[in-house]
Amino acid sequence: MAFINYLIHLGILVCIYSVLTVSLNLAVGFTGLLNLGHVGFFGIGAYSSALLAVAGFPIWLSILCGALLAGIAGILLSLPTMRLKGDYLALATLGFSFILGSVARNWTDVTRGALGIPGIPKIVKGNVEFLIVVAIIAVISYLIFWKLSRSRFGKTCEAIRDDELAAKMLGKDTFMHKIAALGISAFFAGLGGALFAHYITFIDPSIFGLGDLILLFSMLIVGGLASVKGSAIGTIIIFLLPEPLRFIGFPSSVLGPAREIIFALILLLILIYKPRGIVGKVDLA
Amino acid sequence: MAIATQLILNGLIAGAIYALVASGFSLIYSVTKFMHLAHGAILALGAYLMYTFAVLLGLNFWLAILLTLICSSFAGVLMDQLVYKRLRKRKASGAVLLIASIALVTLVSSLILAFWGADVKTIPMKNPVFDFLGARVTQIQIIIIVTSIVLLLGLWLLMKKTKLGKAMRAVADNKDVAQTVGINPERIYTYTFIIGSFLAGVAGILIGIEQNLYPTMGLSLIIKGFTGAVIGSLASVPGAVLGSFILGLVENIGIWWLPSGYKDAIAFVLLFVFLLIRPSGLLGVKVREV
Amino acid sequence: MISVQKLDKHFGGVYAVHNCSFTIKENAITSIIGPNGAGKTTLFNLVCGIIRPDAGKVLLRGKEITGLPTHKIANEGISRTFQQARLFKNMSVKDNLLIARPASDAELKEVLRKVHFPLDMSTKASELSYGQTRLVEIARALLKPHKLLMLDEPTAGVNPKVRQELKQILFDLKKEGNTIVLIEHDMEFVMSISDDVIVMAEGTVLTRGTPKQVQSDKRVLEAYLGK
Repeated sequence: MAFINYLIHLGILVCIYSVLTVSLNLAVGFTGLLNLGHVGFFGIGAYSSALLAVAGFPIWLSILCGALLAGIAGILLSLPTMRLKGDYLALATLGFSFILGSVARNWTDVTRGALGIPGIPKIVKGNVEFLIVVAIIAVISYLIFWKLSRSRFGKTCEAIRDDELAAKMLGKDTFMHKIAALGISAFFAGLGGALFAHYITFIDPSIFGLGDLILLFSMLIVGGLASVKGSAIGTIIIFLLPEPLRFIGFPSSVLGPAREIIFALILLLILIYKPRGIVGKVDLA
Repeated sequence: MAIATQLILNGLIAGAIYALVASGFSLIYSVTKFMHLAHGAILALGAYLMYTFAVLLGLNFWLAILLTLICSSFAGVLMDQLVYKRLRKRKASGAVLLIASIALVTLVSSLILAFWGADVKTIPMKNPVFDFLGARVTQIQIIIIVTSIVLLLGLWLLMKKTKLGKAMRAVADNKDVAQTVGINPERIYTYTFIIGSFLAGVAGILIGIEQNLYPTMGLSLIIKGFTGAVIGSLASVPGAVLGSFILGLVENIGIWWLPSGYKDAIAFVLLFVFLLIRPSGLLGVKVREV
Repeated sequence: MISVQKLDKHFGGVYAVHNCSFTIKENAITSIIGPNGAGKTTLFNLVCGIIRPDAGKVLLRGKEITGLPTHKIANEGISRTFQQARLFKNMSVKDNLLIARPASDAELKEVLRKVHFPLDMSTKASELSYGQTRLVEIARALLKPHKLLMLDEPTAGVNPKVRQELKQILFDLKKEGNTIVLIEHDMEFVMSISDDVIVMAEGTVLTRGTPKQVQSDKRVLEAYLGK
């Protein structure tokens, strides 16, 4: 019985994180925008939805607002960072998520700082029902991204990734495409964040931390850049990999860092030996 | 008046620490052309190793320092050989190396957490307080400032006057041309990591003594370090040093108006703003966009 | 077709292009030649909006396009290839072409035939030889709706066979009504296909004329050898 609950719990997290991964893929894999601030959008979605819901707003409205705010943040972030190249863009987006983390820790009037926000209402009473809800959302999201990847928009984004100047010379408004890509990517990350908040029912500023970033990039790169199905595959594999540790009987104080160590090692190994991941189309540029 | 002096003094001390971190980071960036964020991990390792040698094992203080510095220099080289070198062979871009270094930082933080535990540690040391122009300064803080100045001067002399320094600057300027005059870039990278990681180790020891040890200290400090470097100039060590002192001063003077929790936020905002407006830094050559 | 008027561009105190003016005729092949550093590629970049001029104007069929962003200039009708062929390396030849505009397989095959591209269009761009990437880049530029075709050193780095094919390709394109401007260093190529030759030196137009006129102009020789 407990094992079934555990599986349901895993399933819920896999669904939520798979949406995060595929949305990150749109920005990084398809458009070539090295966005290290994705956890920032996740956190914005989580915090906004949590705060609204705790204040009494209807849950679905809160989640939608969370996602929209995250999407707007994505658009806002893309504007000043438009002209930055590779590693500078990475640093700036990383800085963005650090700023958000700092705001979450210090704006105690609103976010309660390090105390976090407890008592976030659940969407449905049971976990099985919730699993069905997030699974449906995940499937719909994947369909959306799949259609995007095959559309003119998606192909133009890939062109921008490969050679932005050539894309401009073919008449493509690369700025608008990059803004849209980051906005869409952020929206879905915010959606994932909101769903996460309403499942765990408690969030705190650690949501903006690096641990999740490494996790996301592991899932992204293992699955493969610029591949929608790769993101699902990568999420499942990475999530499932450290789970056997639970059963070996490590003390929980070691379990936490052990997971992070595994994710970091996987990311390093993949980057060194198989940067295309399993079904990726592109190398991380 | 005394408050102003205190704030400025605090700013200079913070600046000195950041400068130690930033100089190693900037040295490595200027030669290898990528952002080795795991530099912070070396720093954290240095602090925890010092704790282990001096407190847990009770070794002689100077012996502990020596061992720590040897280990941190070695750790830096190990990171380069095991991870970065392999990525370089694949012609990985600076961005990939950046991500790899973030993975390394997380890896080391988690290892530290696993082995030493999450509770905050200290390295106790006699620390009399002095009065300087109405402000308080501790002995350790004085040691920090003096050590920074000495090491930074030493680094400057190394870069300007020695054969190794000239070779490093040659590789930093143009790796391919340097090769044609017989310089082996890989060996220079190794020396760069040794020197840079040595500096990180020193910073780790000093910070460990002056402040507390906690598993994520590496990340916190490398963020300050590279913010300082970005402000001054990523690719130039003097720039990184200047930027670090500016950061230290702005942070400490800034929290006179803001709640002290926002100290970190000041650094992040400065980082973000500089990356957007002047990524080449105050002293850097303006990077032209294609 | 296109008119450049008193263009100026300097970088850090040095003029790359200075007081440069000329007009390009429609339905002709015009070559721009000149020693290295004469400002030819800078000129192309100025026309295409990749860099902004410090002074001067660019007019396309009478409409001013100076200082517009590159993609807008492209949409006004300029197709351009680059000194180093810029294909989307992670995409197939077919996908590369489709970025230019939506097109049926038949249309794609037709444009590839025009440039004598020998392989299947599902080939990945990263698997092509350099000469083949050149051909695809030209095909892509052709497919994109355009009034003017600007080619930057189309023969650079290609083998003699492809170079000969390029001559034929450009002739055929002209016959179909295209207006072509190219930057070239290969004198034999330039002289055999151009209707008009513009010689640039030190950022401005030195002289212009038919290939024969330019070949016998002493100043051109001096410009290349250095006075």
